[in-house]
Amino acid sequence: MIINEIFIPNLSALKQAVKTLLKVANGRKKIMLYGEMGAGKTTFVRVFCHHFKTKQAAQSPTFSLINEYYYIENNRNQRIAHLDLYRLKNIEEALNIGIEDYLDDEQYCLIEWPDLIEPLFPPDVLKIKLEIIGDNQRKIIIL
Amino acid sequence: MPNLQKSPFEVTILAIESSCDDTSAAIFQNGRILSNVVASQAVHKLYGGVVPEVASRAHQENIVPTVDAAFQKAGVQKQDIDAIAFTLGPGLMGSLAVGVGFAKAFALSLNVPMIEVNHMHAHVLAHFAEDPKPPFPFLCLTVSGGHTQIVLVENALKMSILGETLDDAAGEAFDKTGKLLGLDYPAGPAIDRLATQGKVRFDFPEPQIPNLNFSFSGLKTSVLYFLKKEMAQNPYFISENLADICASVQDRIIRILIKKLKKAAKQTGIRHIAIAGGVSANTGLRKTLELTGQIEGWTTYVPRFEYCTDNAAMIAIAGYFKFLNREFAAHDVAPMARMAF
Repeated sequence: MIINEIFIPNLSALKQAVKTLLKVANGRKKIMLYGEMGAGKTTFVRVFCHHFKTKQAAQSPTFSLINEYYYIENNRNQRIAHLDLYRLKNIEEALNIGIEDYLDDEQYCLIEWPDLIEPLFPPDVLKIKLEIIGDNQRKIIIL
Repeated sequence: MPNLQKSPFEVTILAIESSCDDTSAAIFQNGRILSNVVASQAVHKLYGGVVPEVASRAHQENIVPTVDAAFQKAGVQKQDIDAIAFTLGPGLMGSLAVGVGFAKAFALSLNVPMIEVNHMHAHVLAHFAEDPKPPFPFLCLTVSGGHTQIVLVENALKMSILGETLDDAAGEAFDKTGKLLGLDYPAGPAIDRLATQGKVRFDFPEPQIPNLNFSFSGLKTSVLYFLKKEMAQNPYFISENLADICASVQDRIIRILIKKLKKAAKQTGIRHIAIAGGVSANTGLRKTLELTGQIEGWTTYVPRFEYCTDNAAMIAIAGYFKFLNREFAAHDVAPMARMAF
């Protein structure tokens, strides 16, 4: 079955949506998050990190640009990189924060406002869009 | 080696701050800030924020002239310096590296010790730049574009976070709701200005967060819902009501902050309450803190604006307290973008 959309009727359903999305991802670890301001991109990452039981809860990286969260899997330290490119103006600035390292490695990398770096996307990138349907209702569209 | 026999009152410290937008250098001597020079990077105005590549390059350009200016303004010679304090983190890696590298080179050339400072501790200790200084213990609400924390300050070297934001910082809430209103990013100062001309007419829901933590992401979303609904009926809604919307958003953000501050004061029994960080420049927050203080019987502390935003004076003060405790950094110290409090 091909899933094109995941309906999220309320905030607590986001947990299940993350699980479904991980099935859709099927091992792909570079996840690009589209959606307007307030659509719930950071909230999605927070629940995503919660699923992996990261040591630190996800916070907005709008100011810091890059947040890294760690979790342990198979006795090894794993990392989820959480980037927000909202404040960047061109692709050079993205290159200068070392974005290629995050796109090339074997770890999870979730990027909010990724439009700027589309030319740098690896071939197996997973692009999703969060869409507001109503108050507290969202839909994840697999692009 | 440093003259550790000097009286604490004779200690002279050079401090460097380069964690984010601004390059800053300060000289501290005899318990006083002699100079606090901030090279504000006008180039960022064009970009509307903290752009890492621009930031680290600008720090490289600014660091030597800024330090020179700090020495000149203070009337102090380089040989007078007993230690150099610098921001170790948190901040942007490329920007921090400029300050840490400079501090190492300077310390080696003068053969003086280095003192690493946590930027967030320094914001709290900015209150010791001038009188009135809060007595220990006190509570400090640190609010900026990247941080929102209530800190219990037991002494200059011992402080802990009682509550912090779970998602967006308070400053970010200003900046992003402003963006939804079509204001330039970052929009905090513009909202503050418009709010003074508006009335609090629109009610935005209060986040239901237990304990002393904060959440501002839901506020942003409820403003978004609200604007969408209103704009569907009246496409000129924002422009016709801009000042009132700003006043209402600002009022909600401030009430969220003050409510948790009151709760923290009640829990700890502490009545000396301070605010720090860039958002403490917000006139509405200052007024509300003062009023709340009068009602609650608090003594409140708000630093002058130059000590609210990022500055090296606060790094010097934090460094001085560590100097007294002989807490020096090793020469292999490296900047930390993310740093435990």
